[in-house]
Amino acid sequence: MSDDVKVDLELDLKGLLCPLPMVKVSQNITNVPVGGVIRAVATDPGAMADIPAWAQSTGNEVLSAEKEGAEFVFLVKRLK
Amino acid sequence: MEAQQLTTLTGVIDKKMNRQLKQYMDICARCAICKDACHQYVGTGDFTYLPARRAELIRQIYKKYFDKAGRFVPALYEARDPDENLLDELYESTYACTGCRRCMYYCPFSIDTAWILSVAKAILIAAGRGNEMLGQLADAAIFKGDNAAMFEGVMLSGFEDISEEVRAITGNPEHQVHVNKEGADILYVALAGAHSIRPAAVIFEEAGESWTISMFEAANYGYFYGDAEKARLITKRYIDEAKRLGVKEIVVPECGHAYRVAEIFYEAWSGEPMPFKVSHILEKVDEYIKAGRITVDRDKIDGTVTYHDPCQIGRNGGVFDAPRDIVRAVTSRFVELTPNREQQWCCGGGGGIVAMEEFKDVRLKSGGKKVEQLKASGASVLACPCENCRLQIEELNEVHGLGLEVWQVIDLVVAAMPFKATPEADAATM
Amino acid sequence: MDTYLWITSVAGVYVAGVVFVAGIGWRIYEWATTPKSPVRLGMFPKPATTGGRVAKMLTDTLVAPHAARIEPRMWFFAMMFHVAALAAFVGHLRIVQEYPLLPDLLGAEGMNAFAAWAGGIAGTLMMIAVLYWIGRRTFGPFKNLSVPEDYLLLALLLGVIIMGNHMRFFGHVHAAEYREWFQSLLAFRPHVPDAISNSNVGWSLGTHMLFVNALLIYFPFSKLVHTIGSFAANYARSE
Repeated sequence: MSDDVKVDLELDLKGLLCPLPMVKVSQNITNVPVGGVIRAVATDPGAMADIPAWAQSTGNEVLSAEKEGAEFVFLVKRLK
Repeated sequence: MEAQQLTTLTGVIDKKMNRQLKQYMDICARCAICKDACHQYVGTGDFTYLPARRAELIRQIYKKYFDKAGRFVPALYEARDPDENLLDELYESTYACTGCRRCMYYCPFSIDTAWILSVAKAILIAAGRGNEMLGQLADAAIFKGDNAAMFEGVMLSGFEDISEEVRAITGNPEHQVHVNKEGADILYVALAGAHSIRPAAVIFEEAGESWTISMFEAANYGYFYGDAEKARLITKRYIDEAKRLGVKEIVVPECGHAYRVAEIFYEAWSGEPMPFKVSHILEKVDEYIKAGRITVDRDKIDGTVTYHDPCQIGRNGGVFDAPRDIVRAVTSRFVELTPNREQQWCCGGGGGIVAMEEFKDVRLKSGGKKVEQLKASGASVLACPCENCRLQIEELNEVHGLGLEVWQVIDLVVAAMPFKATPEADAATM
Repeated sequence: MDTYLWITSVAGVYVAGVVFVAGIGWRIYEWATTPKSPVRLGMFPKPATTGGRVAKMLTDTLVAPHAARIEPRMWFFAMMFHVAALAAFVGHLRIVQEYPLLPDLLGAEGMNAFAAWAGGIAGTLMMIAVLYWIGRRTFGPFKNLSVPEDYLLLALLLGVIIMGNHMRFFGHVHAAEYREWFQSLLAFRPHVPDAISNSNVGWSLGTHMLFVNALLIYFPFSKLVHTIGSFAANYARSE
C-alpha cells in the first residue's frame, strides 16, 4: 500500500535510540503541509509503539508501520 | 496584564508554595557564586542562564504578590508581573536548565534552583507556554499507558526479537526476556529502546535472577515537561504493573532521571509511600559481580576507560560507587574525570534538552567543560549510565572530534562476560 | 544636637528594636507555618544520622566550604565581613555589660586600648569587605542581577560602619559613657550623657544609630534574613 502514497519528506532515523525517532518525526511534521506524508525509517523497535502513540496523542495519522527486515518503516500523515 | 491570566499564574505559585521555596525566595543574597557552577552560564556567558537570575524571575513575581515588603515597595526588588516579557525570558532559562543542581552544591545557602524552576515550569504550562515537544512526548507516553492493549502486539514481538539476540549472545537456548511473569522478584522498567533491554536481559539471565520486563518505559517526559500530574500518571503505570505482578523490587535502567523520579519524586506526586524497593540496575550488577553470580574478564575492553557521573544518579541520586566498582572490575585502566562524583560537571544534556531542537546551540556550548575534562583524562572509552548524557556526549564527541567510544556500563559488562559458545549461538550470530 | 540624639539614639532605638524583634518573629512564624516541601530536596552524599546532618548544616552555614572552593576571593571577603561583624557585635556587648576578667587583666587604660585596636581592625575589615561588594556588584559581569535592595543594604551597612569607625578613630569617648546611655535605654529611663552629646562624636553616634535603626527596621523584610534562613536551607540539603 505504501507505494500509492506520495511521500513529502524522507527521514532516516536509523541508529537513533528511542524516544529520538519520535522526537525527529515530531520536529519535522511541520515541514510538510497539512495532508502531507513523512516516510521515516528507524531501527529501534521501540519506535513501533512510540510513533503511533505520538500520532494518536497529537492528532496525526500513521498510515502504516511495518517491519522490513531489521528496519521499521513508518508513513505518517500530518492532519493539522 | 490581563487580570484573569494574572490570577491564574499567581495561583500556581500559591498552590506550589512550601517552606523551602519560601526560604529560597527570601534568603538569596544574589551573590552570584553560582555563576561558576553552571555549565550553561560558563559555556555561554549569557545572563539568562545565570542560576540566580533564573530564580530571580520567580522571585520578582513572588515579591510583588506574596511578600509584604515587595508589595509595599515593589521597586526595591524590581518586583513585577508575570507578563509576556517575563514569560519569554522564563521559558528560555527554565527549559534550558538541565536540573543538574550543581549550583545548589556550591550555593552557601544550598538554594535549589531546579526546585524553583519546577514552579517556573508550572507557571509556563498554566500560561500555555509549556515546551511543546516535551508535552507531546509526555502525552504520547500517557497514551501508550492508557491503551496498553493496542501496543501489546508490537511490544511482545519486540521482546521476542530481543530474546533471540540474547540467546545468540549467551548461547543458552533457555534465556529470554520474561514478560508478565507473576511472582518474579524484580520488575525491570527499561527504556523504549532495545539497547536498554538486551544487555540487561543478558546479565539478569546469566545471574539467574528472577525478573520480568515492564511493558512501560522508565523515562518520564512529564517530569521534564514540568507537569506533576502527567509525571505521576507516567510513573504510576509501572507501579500498578509491579503491584499486579507482585514483585519485590523495581529496577530502573541506565537513565538519569528515572531513578530520581522513582526513588524521590513519585511519593510526593502520588501522596503514597513507594511500595517497592527501588534500585538502579548498576547496583544490581555490582551485587552480581561481587557475589560471583556473573563473571567478568578483566581487560577485554581496549583502551583507557573513564566514567561520567550523571547528575541525577550521582549528586542527586547518591549512586557513586557501584558503577565505579563495575568499571574497575572490567578494566585495570580506569581513570577519573576531574572533578568527579558530587562535583561532576553536568554534560549539558539533562532535563530533556536533547529533545528540544531550539536549545541545541546553548546545549553544545554548555558541553565545553565536559569536553575539557574528557580531553584531560586521556581516556578513549567513556562509560556513562544515562541516556541523555550519552546522547549529548556522543554529539560533543563528533563536534569536537574526541575519538571517544561512548558505552552504557551494562554494555561494558556484557562485553567482558565470557559465554559458553554453543552451535546455536554461532549460528545465530552468523 | 540633643533633639537629633533623642530621635536617633533614644526613640529610634526603641522603634527599631520593636520592629526588628516583631519582624523576625513574624518571618520565622511564616516559615514555620508553611508546609514543608513534599519532595526531599537533599543531595548526595548525605550524612546518615541526624547528628551528622546537623554538623554538616553548621559547617555549610558557618564556613561555606563549597563556596570557598568555587570562588575563593568572594568567600574570603564574605568570611572577613561576617567574622569582623561578629567580633564587632561581641565588642558592642561592652555597652550592655563590661566583660569580667579582661579589664582586671589589662587595667582600665589597657582595656580601652585593646578595644580601640580590636574595634578598629574589625571596623576596617568590614569597610573593606563592603567596598569590595559594592565594586563587585557595580562592575562585575553580573551587575544586572543586582536590584535596588542590594545597594540599599550595602549603603546602610557602609553608613553604619563609617560612622562607627569615626567614633572609634576620632572619638575620645569610651565604653563607660556609651554603657551609661545604653543601660538607660534598657531601664526605660533614657538619657544621653553630656560626655557624649558635648563630644566631637555626638553627631556621629546619632548618625551611626540612624543607619543602625534603618538597617534593623529593614532587616526582617530583606535578604538579610539569610542569617537565619540559611541554617534551615542548608539543613534541607541533607534531607
